[in-house]
Amino acid sequence: MSSKMILDLFGMTFFYIVVGLTFMGLGRKITARLQRRVGPPWYQSFLDVFKCFSKTSISHNYIMDLGLIMALAGLIATAYFMPVAKGWTPAGSSSIVVILYLMTIGYLGMAMGVSASGNPNATIGISRALALMFGYEIPFAMIILAMISVLGSSSLSDIAMSQAGGIQNWNIIRFPLGFLAAEIAFQAMIGEKPYDHMIAPAEIASGPMVELGGKFLGIAFLLHAVQLFVETGLMVNLFLGGASTWYEFVGKQFVVYFTSMVINTVFARYRIEQGIKHLWVWAGSFAAIQLVLTRYFDIFSR
Amino acid sequence: MNREIYLPDGYTTIRKIGERDGYEVYDLFFGPNHPGMHGNFGYVLDMMGTEIVRVRPNAGMLHRGFEKAMERKKWVQNLALIPRVCVVDPDPNEVAYCQAVEELLGVEAPERARYLRTITLERSRLTAFLMGMGGVGGAIGLYSATYLMMADRDRLLDMFEALTGARVYHIFNVPGGVRRDAPEGWFDGVLKVLDELESNIPDWDKLVFENPVVWARLEGLAPITEEEARRGGLVGPNLRATGAKFDVRRDAPYAAYGELDVEMHNAGDGKADALTRAVQVRLEYEATIRLIRQAIAKAKKLPSGPVRADVGPLHKLRVPKGDAYSKVESSKGEFGYYIVSNGGYTPYRVSVRGPSMPAGIHLAKTQLPGVKIDDVAAWMATLAICSPDIDR
Repeated sequence: MSSKMILDLFGMTFFYIVVGLTFMGLGRKITARLQRRVGPPWYQSFLDVFKCFSKTSISHNYIMDLGLIMALAGLIATAYFMPVAKGWTPAGSSSIVVILYLMTIGYLGMAMGVSASGNPNATIGISRALALMFGYEIPFAMIILAMISVLGSSSLSDIAMSQAGGIQNWNIIRFPLGFLAAEIAFQAMIGEKPYDHMIAPAEIASGPMVELGGKFLGIAFLLHAVQLFVETGLMVNLFLGGASTWYEFVGKQFVVYFTSMVINTVFARYRIEQGIKHLWVWAGSFAAIQLVLTRYFDIFSR
Repeated sequence: MNREIYLPDGYTTIRKIGERDGYEVYDLFFGPNHPGMHGNFGYVLDMMGTEIVRVRPNAGMLHRGFEKAMERKKWVQNLALIPRVCVVDPDPNEVAYCQAVEELLGVEAPERARYLRTITLERSRLTAFLMGMGGVGGAIGLYSATYLMMADRDRLLDMFEALTGARVYHIFNVPGGVRRDAPEGWFDGVLKVLDELESNIPDWDKLVFENPVVWARLEGLAPITEEEARRGGLVGPNLRATGAKFDVRRDAPYAAYGELDVEMHNAGDGKADALTRAVQVRLEYEATIRLIRQAIAKAKKLPSGPVRADVGPLHKLRVPKGDAYSKVESSKGEFGYYIVSNGGYTPYRVSVRGPSMPAGIHLAKTQLPGVKIDDVAAWMATLAICSPDIDR
C-alpha cells in the first residue's frame, strides 16, 4: 500500500465524517424550522462529538468495545467503495455487491456491541433494525438487479457514468418505479420516520443508544455520520446521475437527505411489523414491477 | 408473591407455552427515567419477547405526599401546593379546593369571580388538550405535533401570565373568589388567541388526525367498552369517548357553567379504542374554544363589582368544623376534593379524587398484558394519564 493511498484513506475518512456530521446538524436545523423552532446551530453535531469524546466512558465488557469499533470500521470500509466524483473511489473499485455486503457489517457490529450491554431496550432496538433490513434490502436488491441486467455491470461507478449527458439520462427518469421503491427503502435504511424503529425513544428509550455514553456515544454519532454519507451517496450514484465534481456530489447528497428529513418531520412511526409489511407491499411491489418491466419487456434499455 | 395475580385469563396460558418453548420472562422498567413516561412514575413490565405479560405500577417516586402535606399547611398556603397535583391542568385543583372551603365557610363567590373561574378553567383545559394531542404524536414519533402544539399552548400561557402573573401554576383562585379582576383588554386578548388556535385546527387535523400512520398505530389499540369504562372508574373524555353522557359541568354545574351551554360530544358509541379517545379530545378541544367565547361574551356584559367574597384575612383563615366534597370537570375528567376541618388554621384531612388513578393503576393491569412494548406510551398518552395525580 503506497503512502499516497494511506493519505487518501485518512483524508477521505475525515471527509466522510465532516460531510456526515454537517448533514446531521443541517438536518436538525431543517426539522426545527419545519416545527417552527429555531433549532441548534448547524455545527452542533461537531460539538456533541467533541463533548462525548471528552467525557468518561463506561464499558460493560470488551465485546461492547469491539462491536462499536467493528461497526465504524465496517461503515468506513464501505464508504471507500463509494464513487465520489467522476466515478473515483479510494478503494479503486466500486462493486455494488461489495458495498451492500459491507454495509451490513455496520449493523452487525452495532448489534454485537449493544447487545453486550445487556439492556433489553438495546436488544429490542437491534432486533428491530435487523428485522427491518429484511424489509428494505429485498426491494433494494431487486432494483439493483434491474440496473445490472440493463448495464451488464455491477460497478457503481459504471452505473453512475452511464447516466452522463443530462437529466434525461438519469436513472430517476429511466427507472421511475425503481426510484420510488428505493426512496421508500432509503427512508428505512437511514432510520428515519416512518421507519425509525431502531431508536423509537418513547417506546424503547432510544434502543441501542440507551447504554452508550462518553466515547461510545461519540462513536455512535460518527457511525451515523458515515452511514449518512454512504447511503445518500448510494442514491446519488444510482439515480441522480453520479457527479462530475465533489461539490456536485455533496450537493446532490444533501438534496436526498433534505427530502428524507422533510418526510421524517411529517410522519409518525409505524409499528415494526407494520413497517416491514409496508416496505414489502409498496417498495417491494414497485421494485418487482420495475424488475419485470426491465428484464422481460426490455423497456428501459438503450 | 403470586406472579400470576394480575394476569387476565389466557395470558397465563401464553406464558406457560412461552416458557415451554424456552422463552424467558424478563423485567423491563418503563419509567421513571424513560422518554415515553409522563412524570415520576413507572411500570415494571414482565416481558416475553416484546410482548407484555404482566404489569406492576411502580409509584412512590414523587416524594411529595400532597394530601399529608396539606394537613400541615394553612388553608391559604395549600393553594401553592395543590396545582402540582396535575401539572398539565392545574386550575381544576384550585377551584375544587376553594369550592369545598367556601362550602364549609358558607360563602359564595361573586358572579364576576365565577365567570373568571370558568374562563380560566376552560383555558387550562385547552392547554392540557394541546399538550395531550401533542403527546399522542410524541408517543408514536410524530414530534412535529408535540412542538407545534406546545407553541400554541404558549400563546395561552401568555394570557395566563397577563391575568395571574404566572404561566403554569397560577394560584389565581382563593377561598371566596379569585385574586384579581381581568385587566383592561384581557378578554379581547384571549379572543385573539382563540382566533389563532382555531385557524391552526385544519393543520393539526392534517398532521395528526388524518395522518394514515397515526391511524395505523392507534386504531384498535386497547379498546374499552362503556360498561368496562364505568366499572373501571374512567371519567372525562375517556368515558365520553365510549359513548357515555357524563360531564360534571352539565350534571352538577359549578362556577358559571349553569348559565352556559356546555356541548356534549361522543366520538364512539359503546366502545372506544385509542384512536377514538384521541378524536374525542380533538372534538372537545374545538367545543372548549366555543365555550370560552360564550363565557367571555357574558362576562363582558357583567357590571363591575367584587371578585372575592369577604372571608377576612386569608393568612388567619379558620374554617368551621365539618366536611365538604367539591368536584369539577378537568381535562381528564372529574377532579374531586374531600376536605375535613376541625375548625383550625389547617385542614384536618384532604383527600383528592383524581381522574388518572383508575386508568394509570387499575386499567394498566388489565389492558396492557398482551400489548407490545411499541404501544405503551401511546396507550398512556391517549388515556391522558397524569402521574402526579396517581402519586399524591
